[in-house]
Amino acid sequence: MEKTPTFTTEKSIWKSTLLLIPMTLLTFIFITGGNPNFSSVSNIVAFLITFLFLNYLFFMILYTGKTDRYRAAGFIAMSLFFALVFIVNLIKARGSMSFNDGTLLSCEIPFCHIVTTMIIIPIVFTQSIIFPGSILEGFASIGSMLVIVIGVSLALGRGFCSWGCFYGGWDDGASRILKKPKIRKINPVFRWASFAVLILVALGAAMTLSPTYCDWLCPFKTVTEYEKVTSFTILLKTIVFVSLFAGLVIILPILTKKRIQCATFCPMGALCALTNKVNVYDLRIDKEKCTNCMKCVKACPTMSLDKIDVENGKPSITCMKCGKCIDACSTNAINYHLKGTQVNKNLTWARMLFLFPAFTLLVIFTGGTMQQGIVLLIQLFTTGSLF
Amino acid sequence: MKTLRTIPAYLWAVICVLLIPATFIGNDGFAKQLAKLPFMKINPIYSGGEVARIIQDSTLKISINKPVFAALIGESSKGFVQIKFEGDSLLPEIISREIDFDNDGVQDFKLAINTKTNNTQFEVLNKKDVIDLGVSTMVNDYWIVRVEVRNPGK
Repeated sequence: MEKTPTFTTEKSIWKSTLLLIPMTLLTFIFITGGNPNFSSVSNIVAFLITFLFLNYLFFMILYTGKTDRYRAAGFIAMSLFFALVFIVNLIKARGSMSFNDGTLLSCEIPFCHIVTTMIIIPIVFTQSIIFPGSILEGFASIGSMLVIVIGVSLALGRGFCSWGCFYGGWDDGASRILKKPKIRKINPVFRWASFAVLILVALGAAMTLSPTYCDWLCPFKTVTEYEKVTSFTILLKTIVFVSLFAGLVIILPILTKKRIQCATFCPMGALCALTNKVNVYDLRIDKEKCTNCMKCVKACPTMSLDKIDVENGKPSITCMKCGKCIDACSTNAINYHLKGTQVNKNLTWARMLFLFPAFTLLVIFTGGTMQQGIVLLIQLFTTGSLF
Repeated sequence: MKTLRTIPAYLWAVICVLLIPATFIGNDGFAKQLAKLPFMKINPIYSGGEVARIIQDSTLKISINKPVFAALIGESSKGFVQIKFEGDSLLPEIISREIDFDNDGVQDFKLAINTKTNNTQFEVLNKKDVIDLGVSTMVNDYWIVRVEVRNPGK
């Protein structure tokens, strides 16, 4: 058997604190935007809660050696606060969560990362982007979001889905409500379903020159913005996306303890899975330590591990690098790994080199919205209104 | 050989550690550079197409866009033409105009818009080119109308 790693932060307050320092600095920079706003008590309280919460999570990841447990707390907070802040800002700006023909014609719709999957083929053929958004102006412009998609995909591959996606926390959270799943047997072939959705929506968007997934299928319109119901077709679309949200994001994740929407229905997840191929980080199973207990297979929220994957020593390309299998493994056989390096060597370095960019992403997406969300909640409790 | 593969792996991982903050800190600059690429423009289906001509009268500025016949390859047989009405300060309560969208000397359709009640009356004057009213709505401080038209080349 190879020598086990000697450098570890687990159970070491000093090593964990030392490695926390750069993250503390990054957290401060990103949640204040380099320009702290301490103009009111609620702003100071919101800053302190967010700052301490995120640093506590990173410290615990280092100190306990557990990844997913603490990642999920930040990730779920990100999704909930994102929805709260997005909806409140939308209602303040437009008067409602719905958009109408005027909003579409003025090209003011925020660009979400999932749209990337639908603009690729039309870009090739029409040299233009089939989305009613702005190239550079306003909130979530197309240029700004595409830079984020490219940068994060290159850096983390499908790690984006577990560390940066501001929707993923919904079904991640729902999948943790029950202690044990009610539906246990799910054919792992369903992990490939998102690729079918990707192909369908990409071709559908190319044929109709419209973002088909956003138009008809996106469950997260329920917690962001949707088309104002003015016709039977729009009513039908509304029924479809609300049903998908209830089914794929809430009910099935509760019953299966899997991230069903992310694993089987998200076209962006499938696209990010392809970027896993060109990404330096992956997870590997040390076969010498593995006892074939299959706890990791049961734990994996995206069905990216089955018996064959365990035998092969690595999850499939659909892996979101959430770290749940690492936490579940009682023999520490699963670890983050850098492609091109030996599986059972320098484990802590590989883990740190993954955790720093991944947690930085979580900080960037959570910091701002969590602060704004806390300010809104303080306002709700003190004035009785969010607006 | 193992070392040869290990060095680029660690190097790429360190670059990724820097890439995430760089993506966000340099987002504005990178986005501006990206926006310079030729495909970074909104498809005319959404933008409404290029302005073909502007008619200015005493109360209204009317921008008539080039008809849009967008398709993945080539042109579609049906499309739309977008007309924008802007007032000097506020839009008048009633906008009533006959429009010759293709500038061939023949009036193509007639619009009567009540900007207070959001009611639009539409009449086709040239059935050869015009199909029906698409959208008629207030957008910010101006009024936009999209009229479905036939592609004369198809």
